[in-house]
Amino acid sequence: MKQQKKVAEFLWWTVLAIILGLVISFAFLPLLGVNPIESLKIMLSETFADKFSMGNILVKTTPLILTSLAFAFTYKANLYNIGAQGQFYVGCICAVAVTLQLQTKVPGPVVLIAACLASMIGGGLTGFIIGFLKAKFNANEFLVSMMSTYVITYVMQLLLRTVLQESKHEYLKTDYIDNSAWLPKIIKGTSVSLGIVIAVIAAIVIWFILYRTSMGYRIRVMGFNQDAAAMSGINPKTQCMLAFFISGAVAGLAGFTEINGMQHMLLTGLESDIGSYGIGIAIMANANPIGVIFAALLFGTLQVGGTALGHSTDAPASVIDVMLGFVMLFVLMSFFVRKKLEIRSMKKQKLQKGEV
Amino acid sequence: MNEPVIELKHITKRFAKVLANDDVSITIHKGEVVALLGENGAGKSTIMKILYGLYHATSGEIWIDGKERKIATPKEAMDAGISMIQQHFSLVPAHTVTENIILGNCKGKLDIKKKEKEIQALAEKYGFQVPAGEYVKNLSVGTQQKVEILKALYLNARVLIMDEPTAVLTPQEIDTLMEFVRRYVEQGNSVVFITHKMREVMAVSDTIVVMRNGSICGTVKKTDTSEAELAHMMIGRELETLEKPGTEDMSNRRVRLAVKDLSIKPKDHTPLLEDINFEIHEGEVLGFAGVSDNGQQELCEAIYGGIPITSGKIELDGEDVTNESVKDRIKLGMGYAAADRYRYGMVAEMSMSENMLLKSSYLNKWVNHGLIRWSALHRYTEDSIKQYAIKAPDHTVTAGSLSGGNQQKMVVAREVDMGDKLIIFDQPTRGLDLGAINYVHKTILGERDKGKAVLLVSTELSEIFALSDRIAVLYKGKIMGIFKNGELTTEKIGLLMAGVQPEKEGAES
Amino acid sequence: MQIFVNLITRAIFMSTPLVLGALGEVLAERTGMMVTAIEGIFLVGAWGGFIGAYLSGNLLIGFLLAMVCGLIVALLYGVTTIYMHQHQIVMGTAVAILVTGCCTFFYRVIFGIQTVPLKVSILKTIKIPLLSKIPIIGQAIFSQNLVTYFTYILVPIMFFVIYKTSLGLSMRSCGENPEAADAAGINVTRTRFLAVAIAGCLGGIAGAYYPLCNVGMYNAEIIGGRGWIAFGICFLGNWNPVGALIFGVIFGISDALGIFVRAMGTSSVPSELFSALPYILVIILTVCRKQFNVPAKLGANYVKED
Repeated sequence: MKQQKKVAEFLWWTVLAIILGLVISFAFLPLLGVNPIESLKIMLSETFADKFSMGNILVKTTPLILTSLAFAFTYKANLYNIGAQGQFYVGCICAVAVTLQLQTKVPGPVVLIAACLASMIGGGLTGFIIGFLKAKFNANEFLVSMMSTYVITYVMQLLLRTVLQESKHEYLKTDYIDNSAWLPKIIKGTSVSLGIVIAVIAAIVIWFILYRTSMGYRIRVMGFNQDAAAMSGINPKTQCMLAFFISGAVAGLAGFTEINGMQHMLLTGLESDIGSYGIGIAIMANANPIGVIFAALLFGTLQVGGTALGHSTDAPASVIDVMLGFVMLFVLMSFFVRKKLEIRSMKKQKLQKGEV
Repeated sequence: MNEPVIELKHITKRFAKVLANDDVSITIHKGEVVALLGENGAGKSTIMKILYGLYHATSGEIWIDGKERKIATPKEAMDAGISMIQQHFSLVPAHTVTENIILGNCKGKLDIKKKEKEIQALAEKYGFQVPAGEYVKNLSVGTQQKVEILKALYLNARVLIMDEPTAVLTPQEIDTLMEFVRRYVEQGNSVVFITHKMREVMAVSDTIVVMRNGSICGTVKKTDTSEAELAHMMIGRELETLEKPGTEDMSNRRVRLAVKDLSIKPKDHTPLLEDINFEIHEGEVLGFAGVSDNGQQELCEAIYGGIPITSGKIELDGEDVTNESVKDRIKLGMGYAAADRYRYGMVAEMSMSENMLLKSSYLNKWVNHGLIRWSALHRYTEDSIKQYAIKAPDHTVTAGSLSGGNQQKMVVAREVDMGDKLIIFDQPTRGLDLGAINYVHKTILGERDKGKAVLLVSTELSEIFALSDRIAVLYKGKIMGIFKNGELTTEKIGLLMAGVQPEKEGAES
Repeated sequence: MQIFVNLITRAIFMSTPLVLGALGEVLAERTGMMVTAIEGIFLVGAWGGFIGAYLSGNLLIGFLLAMVCGLIVALLYGVTTIYMHQHQIVMGTAVAILVTGCCTFFYRVIFGIQTVPLKVSILKTIKIPLLSKIPIIGQAIFSQNLVTYFTYILVPIMFFVIYKTSLGLSMRSCGENPEAADAAGINVTRTRFLAVAIAGCLGGIAGAYYPLCNVGMYNAEIIGGRGWIAFGICFLGNWNPVGALIFGVIFGISDALGIFVRAMGTSSVPSELFSALPYILVIILTVCRKQFNVPAKLGANYVKED
């Protein structure tokens, strides 16, 4: 009962913070001569105009769920994997490379499974290296994961310029992958592929690992109190590497859903923001894997709406970044305000009890 | 009587969760030692932190030299001549003695060399052996306390508040401190002495203020009272007396834990433990007495597998466990209630159920093929709450929301079940109120009677005497001797704790 | 030989903003505050610097505006972490996203859509009389711009403030043991806030260095992680201004090397790897060296129950 009340309260405050963030960012629109009310109308009507654009919401949501989970999972272990973007790229590279190698040689489903595994292993190993450096050399994982994204971005450019480049050798991108290696579409008339299902399942699996298995329990213990973990036979170093591997694998999986499910090729600069958006979404959801699904959905909607706004009015797409920034800021502030209020009400209760 | 220096009038302090002080009034006179006596959590430190500006009173007034003063920060308290030595020293380990003393009391460019000389002179004036240029992290706890006192003297404090100053000292060092206190008040200064130890109160104070549950339950002159009366005021009820451990000879019983030539010698560091040898038999409590930080924690952790050892051997029930990890030692039946339970023994943010699982995440107790059997674990937790009379609404509350005593009961409940063969208790009652202490003591003796081996570490001699079958004294990582309970007087154990080996007669075990 | 001198000149030129940003970071981290908003501060500095300089035609106003913008972002970060106790890493990420969005958005508000990138003329180098005539170092060290000179004068000043003044002692105490500093009468929150504010000002100038001293124009990718490199330099330099200078120059060299290799065009090693060199260097150096001298309470918020 008490738990439910707390969750409800958390939701109310988060919704309030989100609304506040939206209001403030929309309030900037008149600076560009755009009517905020009109824009909101356009956003809503364009976004929910037809099946296709509604489907786009799910398309946008898919990788966001996964990169957000990557951050949330390590966050539960009190580790900071800021490098989901890089792990996503590694996942993309692995998926596209495996697909291009195997397609038409073996049946489609086999290609898909191989690409899926490759992307997870690739991303996972990238994460694992960061965890390993942290565990073995006490290297600051925040800094290393941050830097790894930049390195990987350049490596990806190099690969796209050389071995992976399209047959025409014109642009920094790969060839299209064969139809047989596409993730099947699950809704007709949209671009929604099986990817969204994979992402939602991933969120549920992550939740299950964290709260139902002893492995997840150990990772959480390590996150809260490393000393107590070590004194309970839980080796923090092992947990650190494990947490980073899983985190990286989830981010890598986003590469698979994006390549085989949506883009059907890899090009330079692909979805270059989903790493940091993922962090924002995870914070919005308080790092709860199930909450991540909904926060990502909300953000996917904003993205589609923002793009529609960019097409129909003078408002730039960057207004979405402003929105997300303010929403995050207010969500974080709401944590503080809630705590303040809680303490105040506790003091009040004590006072009343004292008087009775 | 001299004129009052400080008057605290009707101070009430309310935190989010507790009412820490309720209408507390204390008067401190010139040239007087006021002892603030009470159990842990009685609100002694809080009221003094209010006087020192660290906390702010919810209501009430502070009068200094007959005038009302608002004290918002420690700076203002210091300006009024008030200094406080907190229980956990307010020193920066990475800075030198001089830097620590001048912190907050200097302006502009620092002339460290000059200040160092000043402070060295001040130390010599009071007969303190404190190296002014040394880093605080390299000093012993006793010396660190002297640095704290010097800090107050450097500020020309006329009211010195000391929070549990003797907890970290040997009986002999305590005497030196008392000597200083007497000299200091003779010069017309005042001292407030926060403590829960009766002996010190009777030794040094002029006025005794007894606190219980945040309010004052008596202010008496030392000459008008007795230890018995003070104890009664402090606790407010009678406690059931425990049966003293028997004097029976246990050397014929089965050895459960054997430690042989155990040493921990880090590079570039004095040895933490040196040639430790002892055995604990079935159904025996071996108490380790000693001043804190003389290797107790290292000893416990070494036996539990938490830190690597340099040499030596540890056997549990005849099985060599020296190279086993913590995980495996838990499996073999070791329990360990660490002194710093908050850091090593629990996860404050997790629920009570989750905390009960802490040590057994690798065992099949509540885990089945990697899946946690929550319902069984919840039932077990509920049972433990009932059995140990833990004040908690249910198993879902976080461990951090429990009071210190209930947290310790939770840890004890778990470790008692984890330690089938051996239970290590490091300071099991530190910070607990007397009721909880009583309960923990009963549990320890109960487990002993079940045939388990118990290793008890405590800095409270009364606890050691009350529970141990045999007593070992630890000093700078070495065992000064192992004795049967009853062979040692307080004086003799005091000397051993200070590293002095008294005349050999009767000292063999 | 000339190539070598050019390389060093370029290295010192490129190291300036990194050292400047790292100096602010060192000061703040000494008080226990990780300014994880530094990437955002760099970006807003670049943005403000460019806008100020372009609209006024005066580089000084550009730098002043950059400083103010950096300060504002630092204050936002300081209020939410120091006074509202939010997690420093999480908050830094949030600020970075907000700043990225706002910079792009308001650039558009001010300048609309531009087909040709707007340009400002960059800060001139000033040859110091006599000293610039010394062979090699004359060109490398004494023929730089004002910001570089300012940065290199700031290193000893920062060192002096941190280690030889009472303010520095108070600041270091806040990072080592805030409870003790508090008990000694030091206002921990205010001290930390001050340090973060200074880091914001320096970071803002550092960010403005890229448009105003290097490329003469602004785009959203202009910083591209260099704020994080300054953050890393602070770690690598052991929270010491002199260490920050040394590692700043090392990164300057790696930056310059990349530029040289790309300029020469023909190389057996792919140019991407040279571009990635600074980032790889951070990883390698972070892994290789043992951390010591870490402020004991780095990254931990000081929350007083009252």
